[in-house]
Amino acid sequence: MNKIVATLLLFCSACVCAADNGVKVPQFERVQLGNGAVVLLMERHDVPLIAFTAVLRGGAVSDPTGESGVASLLAGVLQKGAGSRDAVQFAETVASVGGQIEAAASTESISVNGSFLARDQQLMVELLADMLQRPRLDLAQFDTLRARQIEFIRAAKESDLAALTPIYGEAYLFGGHPYGRSVDGSEASLAAIKHADLQQYYQQQVGADRLILAVAGDFKTSQLKQRISRAFSGWRKAGTALAPVPKAERVAKRRVLLIDAPESVQSYFWAGNVAVPKSDPRRPALDVTNTLFGGRFTSMLNTELRIRTGLSYSASSHFDRLLQTGHWALSSFTQTETTTQAIDLALATLDNLHKSGLEPTMVESGKSYVQGQFPLALETSGQWAAQLATLEFYGLGRDYIDNYSAQLAAVTPADAKKVIDEVFPSSSALTIVVVGNASAIREGLRKYGPIMEMKLADPSFEPKN
Amino acid sequence: MSRGLLGCTLLAAALSCTCAASSAIAQVPGADQVQAVTLANGMQVIVWPDHDIPNIALFNWVHVGSRNEVPGITGLAHFFEHMMFNGTTTRPQGEFDRVLEANGARNNAFTTNDVTVYQDWLPRAALEAVFEVEADRLRHLAFEPKVIESERGVVHSERRLRIEDSFVGRLQEQVQATAYLAHPYQIPTIGWPSDIASWRIEDLKTFFATNYAPNNCTLVLVGDIEPKSAIALARKYFEPIPAHSPPEPIRTQEPPQEGERRVSIAAEAQTPLLQFAYHALSGSDPRQPALELLTRILTDGDASRLHRVLVEDQKIAISADSYLDRGFDPGLAWFLLTLPAGGDAKQAEVAFDLEIARLRDGGVTAQELARARSQALADFWRGLATIDGKAQALGQYAVLQGGYQRLFEAPRAYESVTADDIRKLAADLLAPGNRTVGVLTAASTAPAQGEGR
Repeated sequence: MNKIVATLLLFCSACVCAADNGVKVPQFERVQLGNGAVVLLMERHDVPLIAFTAVLRGGAVSDPTGESGVASLLAGVLQKGAGSRDAVQFAETVASVGGQIEAAASTESISVNGSFLARDQQLMVELLADMLQRPRLDLAQFDTLRARQIEFIRAAKESDLAALTPIYGEAYLFGGHPYGRSVDGSEASLAAIKHADLQQYYQQQVGADRLILAVAGDFKTSQLKQRISRAFSGWRKAGTALAPVPKAERVAKRRVLLIDAPESVQSYFWAGNVAVPKSDPRRPALDVTNTLFGGRFTSMLNTELRIRTGLSYSASSHFDRLLQTGHWALSSFTQTETTTQAIDLALATLDNLHKSGLEPTMVESGKSYVQGQFPLALETSGQWAAQLATLEFYGLGRDYIDNYSAQLAAVTPADAKKVIDEVFPSSSALTIVVVGNASAIREGLRKYGPIMEMKLADPSFEPKN
Repeated sequence: MSRGLLGCTLLAAALSCTCAASSAIAQVPGADQVQAVTLANGMQVIVWPDHDIPNIALFNWVHVGSRNEVPGITGLAHFFEHMMFNGTTTRPQGEFDRVLEANGARNNAFTTNDVTVYQDWLPRAALEAVFEVEADRLRHLAFEPKVIESERGVVHSERRLRIEDSFVGRLQEQVQATAYLAHPYQIPTIGWPSDIASWRIEDLKTFFATNYAPNNCTLVLVGDIEPKSAIALARKYFEPIPAHSPPEPIRTQEPPQEGERRVSIAAEAQTPLLQFAYHALSGSDPRQPALELLTRILTDGDASRLHRVLVEDQKIAISADSYLDRGFDPGLAWFLLTLPAGGDAKQAEVAFDLEIARLRDGGVTAQELARARSQALADFWRGLATIDGKAQALGQYAVLQGGYQRLFEAPRAYESVTADDIRKLAADLLAPGNRTVGVLTAASTAPAQGEGR
């Protein structure tokens, strides 16, 4: 017994977890194919599974104007028949070996994530290559998916307002900027998308030079590298170059978008502003500060809105950091009657962050927390594949992970103060979005600034000007 | 996952020849290192070392859920899930979370019909600090009237989020309440609003004294720790808590259902919903693996029957899902359909019934069974890929599914399910007279809204 344990520990110290110095990126190999595709391979032999993340640069920012949702629909249709298999055969093949393969769009990419038993690696490569290079893009499948996507949005409006609120928030904050697009489209934008748009997107925005393929798990690098090269080196490049994303400016004045949901018994609110890109070097201080303000249970926001007053089940804040820039937002919800009380408290808490900063003991607590939770995101092959793809996508080195622990340890209260001043918006410069019963809350919201109004039933996530 | 060649070899063997393995326990890497003890006060402790990352998942499974409630105090088990973070007689409100978070640990909790589970995810250096405050709140929970009133508001907000502002949640609550006439599984875990508004401090004290006995808890630790040291810490911090008389067993058994029940909600909705809840099995019932494969054949993935027929071919639903209760007592097998706006609930029900009849009459094909098995097996391994997944699975099997060892027999159990087992189960359980049907229809809109898509 003890012997076995000792052996396991030895293996452990030799690989991932140089525990007290933080998690380090295990050995991996990077290969670039002649057509531009980047392949990242990390062997992990703990369980006989292989996971991959294939990322195609593009995503919702490459959707045609007024047709947000094309990349998302394409991701859906990629799974509906490819190569020699129609949709049913494809699904049956994946399921029959217990595999998983799923494509989804995000603001800046389309990702395909999958996981297969190690013994099925040849089939895994074949299915992924078919999906990306030989999708059928069948018209009937497109029609079905588009109709269903519209229905999902309608269903969410009746059962999941908390999930929809940030979509309204980002759309209003970024206005016409591509970072404001609803990734999965809106009822209106989906209705406008034609099959030809999908085909055009596939021709112009999908190709080897847009691809990052990261694989982690139980395989031999030399063998899998050969398999992937064979399957992908003949693929064409995307028809057009990736269009640069324009700069997005911070919003200087406070303003309110009210979405009328007359049946709702709660108000769901979101307040944010443009913030920083993924590459921002202040990341450790930003992470610690946001953790303390709205990123954990005892955060300032949750303490005020939940623990101290019982106004809400949950209050939090987060960063979304992309290539060009990103945003920061806080969000919560409360019963209709206490809407302004809760928003007042959220804004006062943000004011307090600016006014009083963070106590040194708090900063230490925040550092421990972020440090302690970090390894939990780097546990499985699927997580490592996603991490490798992320590093490559944003042009970040392995230091992004390897040095994070040391960088966190070095964060001082002065660093926190600096990012509060520089990055966290003041309460007078927020874009505020509220979904709720307008007739009951409209008057109360006037004090926050000019109100723009729309209805939950409107088929778009942006207000008409 | 445990790391190293040993684990790899064992696992490969498990996958290539699950049927021939002589010892089911040996199939899951590291399974032979699991240690379980019962402390002198009756608390069970189960430890599974896994040194992949320098973290530990510590879950305290308290054997109390909404099943242990009665009218007047519905929702109280869930309320305790909140109150357990709100201070003890030795530590003020908020201290528990502050100590954990300052030590790098995160926590959460969830409540079901059967159990309340307190979860901590921590760096290994925080383990002793976590043990100390976990034991403190089990022993010394405080009942401050002001804190209770504030937390009542939080639970109200949670109920509005999950039930009042969610048609899916509203219908599910009604279906569950209708499916059980006698058994307390009829009680919604979040609680009826009038009870949330009116339970009293005495109710809380009684409930805590009855149910939060150490001998009513199963403590599960998975991660970067040796069983010996984990058990020593459990002895140091939890063993001094005196045992008390455990809660009364639930005597009520649900009488057999004698015909289909229906419940409907007329709402200002665009999207009709259909839910079917069949009386099914307890978590420890040996037919669970067969029932799981049956539901996978109906709803798991794009190749599953209900998805293909209702969603892809006929397009009368936009999603078809299922969910199985796995509790102490026989629970429900749920099938949930979401229809497109203005969709015809009657037509969808007819199509659903046809598929159920086809399963009852014709059974499943060998290919479908093999596929469901592969999916179940692969999901089993994916579930064990994290310390969190292991702590969840270990606790679920230990408390509700007949002992933690049964977890390691799961691959074998899936392999041994036959098409005949599934057909028999479908005949026994999926009869119209054994189900409750919930329909949420659009009150005023249906025909007009259905056009023009």
